[in-house]
Parts: sequence; C-alpha cells; structure tokens
Amino acid sequence: MGASPDETAVEPEAETETETNNVLERTAQRAIQDPDTVYRWLTYVGIGFFVTASLFPFYWLFVLALTPNESIAGMGVVPKGFNPGAFLEVFEVVPFHRYMLNSIAIAAFSTVIVLTVGSIAGYVFGRYEFRGRLPLLFLILVISYFPPVAFLIPLFRLFTGEVALFGISSPQLYNTPWSIVMPLSAITMPLIIFLLTTFYRQIPDGLEDAARVEGSTRIGALRRIIVPLSAPGVATAGILTFIIVYNEFFFSYLMVNGTADNWSPVLHGIFAFQGTQQVAYNLMAAASIIGVIPMAVLVMIAQERIVSGLTQGALKE
Amino acid sequence: MSTEDRSSTVAQTQQTPRYRVDLAMLDWLERRSDTQFVYMMLVPVFALLGTMAIWPLLYTANISLHADSIATADPLGEFIVLQNYVDILAGEAHLQRPFFSLSNPFTSAAPVTLLYTGSVIAIETVLGLSMALILNKEFRGRRWVRVAMILPWAVPIVIQGMIFYLMFQPSIGFAVDPLSELGIISSTPLANSRDGLLIAIIADVWKQSAFMALLILAGLQSIDRNLYDVAEVAGASKLQQFRTITFPLVLPALLVALLFRTIDALKVYGLIEATAGCNTVPTLSCLVIDLWNGHRYGSAAAVAFIIATVIGVLLIGYLVQLRKQETGGQ
Repeated sequence: MGASPDETAVEPEAETETETNNVLERTAQRAIQDPDTVYRWLTYVGIGFFVTASLFPFYWLFVLALTPNESIAGMGVVPKGFNPGAFLEVFEVVPFHRYMLNSIAIAAFSTVIVLTVGSIAGYVFGRYEFRGRLPLLFLILVISYFPPVAFLIPLFRLFTGEVALFGISSPQLYNTPWSIVMPLSAITMPLIIFLLTTFYRQIPDGLEDAARVEGSTRIGALRRIIVPLSAPGVATAGILTFIIVYNEFFFSYLMVNGTADNWSPVLHGIFAFQGTQQVAYNLMAAASIIGVIPMAVLVMIAQERIVSGLTQGALKE
Repeated sequence: MSTEDRSSTVAQTQQTPRYRVDLAMLDWLERRSDTQFVYMMLVPVFALLGTMAIWPLLYTANISLHADSIATADPLGEFIVLQNYVDILAGEAHLQRPFFSLSNPFTSAAPVTLLYTGSVIAIETVLGLSMALILNKEFRGRRWVRVAMILPWAVPIVIQGMIFYLMFQPSIGFAVDPLSELGIISSTPLANSRDGLLIAIIADVWKQSAFMALLILAGLQSIDRNLYDVAEVAGASKLQQFRTITFPLVLPALLVALLFRTIDALKVYGLIEATAGCNTVPTLSCLVIDLWNGHRYGSAAAVAFIIATVIGVLLIGYLVQLRKQETGGQ
C-alpha cells in the first residue's frame, strides 16, 4: 500500500517517453523501476489462488447438491438443474438431524469435561512450582504423541465390558456417547493443558497474592481473581476442543455401531448415504454441506481465538 | 471465601448441628500445604488420563508381546517377547497387505505411509509458507481471506474425504476425465492404489496447509520489523531479505509445524477410510484396524507400537535439532 504514490508518479513518465508502448511493455518497465509492484501483484495472485483453492470444493459440493441425482452423471463445474429439495431430502432418507445432534452433544460433553478438568490442571501447572511438575508435564506431552490405534484395543474391551477389576466388569459404554467422549477428552487434554498453562502463567502473581493476604482462601482467590481473568483463555480452549471433537474420525467411527439411536455422530450419517439403494451423490453432497455449517459458523465468529489458540498451544508444547 | 466465611465455618462446625460439607471441605483443603493442594487438584486429570491413555498404552504394550490367539476366548496368546515385531518387520507375518515390499510400494503399509507423509509435509511446507507470507501483509479484506483459508482446516475429516471421493468418482467427478486423459490418473482412481494415495495427498494438502500457515505466521509476526529496515538500507533485495532474515527466524516455528504435521500424517486413517478405502490404500493405521478386526490383537498392538516408535524417534530427533538451534543461535 505504501508504494502506491511512487507507482502513479512513474506511470505518466513512462507514457510520455514512448507513446506506442503497449500495456505489456509498460507493465514490464514499471516492474523494473519499482519491484514492489511485482511483489504486490504476486500477493494478489497468491490471494486469488489460495482463496479459490480453499473455497472451490465447497462450491462444488453446492453444484452437486443442487443437481438432481438422475442427471448427475458427467458433472462439470456448473449445476445441471436446480433442486434445493435435496437439502430437505437429506433428513427424510436418513435421520440426519439425529446424527447432527449426537455429534453436537458429544462435542459439548467433551468440551465440558476437558474444560473442567483441563483448567484445574492448567491452573496448577501454570501457577504453582512443585516437585514433579516438569516430569508430569512431560508425561502429558508424551501421551499426546501416541497414535489413536495404540489406545484402541484396550479401550474397546473396556467399553464392551470385557475388562474386570476386582471381579466387577467394566460398564457397557459401547454405543453410548461416553465411549467417544471419554477417549477424546483424554486425547484433547494435553493440547488444552498446555494452552491453559501458558495462559494462567501470564496472569500476574500480585493479584492472587493480594487476595490471599486479604484473607481469601485458595479457592476464593481462584474464584474471584483467576477465573474471571482466565475467561478468554478458557473460551479459546473450549472452541478448539469443540472443533477437534466434532471433526474427529477414529473413535467416532469405531466406538459406535453407526445407527442414530446408538449415539452415532455425523460421520456415520454421511456414510449412511452410501448404503441407500441407489447411490445418492447429491444427498451426500447436501449432507456434507449441512455437516460443515456448525464449523463454518464457528470459524467465522471466532477466527481470532482459533488462530491464537492453535498457534499458542502448538508452539508452547 | 473471605475471612467471614472461614470463621463462620468454624462456628458452624463447632456450635450448630448443621454441618456444611462443602465449607468443611474448603476448610480442610485450605489447611493443606501447597504441595498437597497441588496434587489434590491434579487427581481428576490423572484419573482421566490414567484410565483413557496410560492404562491402555501399557495394556497395548503388553499384548504386543503375546502371540495372536484367534481360537480361544482369551485374547492373549502365549508370551513370545518381541516375536511379533520381528515377524512384522521381517515380512514373515501373514498380513492382509505386506508391511514392506519394494516391488509394490503402493500396496504395502510402510511405503504407503511414508510416501504419504513425505509428500504432504513437503507440499504443505511450500504452500503454508507462501500462505503465511501473504497473510503477513496488510491488505483490505485480510480478515475474510484468513477465514477462507482456515475454513478447510475446520472441516470434519469425513466431509473432507467425501469432497474428494465425489471429485474423483468416475461417473460424476469433473477431475477424472481431464486428468486421466493426461495420463496422470487412471479412469477409476478410487480403485487404484497409486491414484488413491494421490487423492489422499491432495485432500490432506487442501485441509492442512492452513494449519502450517498459521504456525509459520506466528513465527513471522514475532520478527522485528527494524531488521528489514536495516536490510533495506544495506541494499538487500527482497530475496536476500527472505534468505537472511525471514527464513532463519521463522525456522523454529516451521520446525514445530513440521513436527505436528509429520506426526499427524503418520497416524492417517480416517481420510483413507472416507476416500479410497483401506484396501486400496493400506496405511499403517489401516493395518492395525485390519488385524484388530481379525481378532489378531498381538500383531495389531505390535504394529501400533511400531508407529509409536517411529513417532518417538522423530520427536527425539526434533528435540535434538531444536536444542542445537537454541545453542547455535547464541
């Protein structure tokens, strides 16, 4: 932006020198005299490329969803027909709203658990120096690097009641939300703990000390000083957890049997369209669009939080 | 809980028969030492991580040392120490898809996973870096450009898979005909192992480049602007500025981003399942699921720990590199 006055100053000069200059030569000359113009144009080209590449697949989903399924063969990049009814049909062929609600409930339960447990841990790790602090943080870090397949076999046995402790077999959690909520809470926890630890660490010590000197209890100081000040960090952590759990595949796929009655999340709803009598590509596309909506809304209203949460959480780990 | 609260606790517990459990607990908690308090507060988090992560890892480690036992009710066969690992790495285990076979790299688990990981991080580094350089500039509508770029990152894996499944579905996808005429993919890309891998790579690049960009952007924004002014005065070109200032200072953030993406890519499962399927593109995680479905828990656990070991080696290598960066820079 800063270079624009130079550019306008150069332009008339070039024009008066040679009147027969065509656009190409003029541009080339301008580029040599002022390389910043080139970088600016490169930036615009880059923006155009990345925005198109990011958004084009969504556009194409719309194209597919709007095209009636009987004319869907050999699709180009424009819709063939206009059939907004597909977005309603999605809910009739498969109880897609149930899958959506299951997913949202699972993500919400996980968020509540992760925030409750994670903010206590983040508070302790961020504000207290104690023996074993670093080893414990390291243990949490190490857990977060294991692939989900390394947890699968025991957790599946645990949730299907095949693990016994003191003769009491584990509760049947397969086909309940908890078989997804519990492992995902644990897997999301490390990121959130690291995020909140840095966050709590940034709150000045003096405030809490002052409250303690005034005679407030530890919990009182926590509730009156720390909790209000940490609200932004906790909100960021909550949004990230919600997105991560909603988008997760592994446990969401394997820990339920795929029916809406058994708390199967949205991914099973989308796979359900593959099993219908005639493969309904337009419904798959419509369901995908509907499934993305909660995430799109979250990104639009909370992008600053998401960006800061992702970068801080990752870089601090 | 100020002083009044505490004295009233004491008063109530002493004088009135109404015993307030919550206040008594608070009072008790208040009388702990800092260390005791800290460990009390950490009970919930380690209860959760203990049952959902630490115990399962130990359990998996244990079964990976036992033979498969398909016939009996007990999932554990006899204790065979590292035989599962030896069999798998030597190619002697009977797997649905070979673990490692150079003659058909696109249908054996380790080469597929490594090809996938290598390709996605290479492409995402380049794209992420360019995205970050763009987002670091001031321009009108930057907020919305950023929203557009982050949006793919927030798409559920299953929908990401579905988009590319539809795009490369022979009867409807617009991408199939032109690309197969150019000879880049076959006419049924979702049924072909090499093309399936390519589709998964494209899908991952679409979704994850933004994550890479955000981490690199954080590194870019921490660079002192004055450095560029100095370079400008010294007559350095933009390219030289990038080489001598931007790149070295962004390198730590870039390394973190690379580490995250590498680990994530090595675990890939959902994207494959939602596009070409585990049979066509057999990654390491797919292999674990296949073995698990066949009730071959010992082998499944061993493959899972092979993935974990690869990740562990990478992590250590990365930490060493980072340490070197820190000491070398001073």
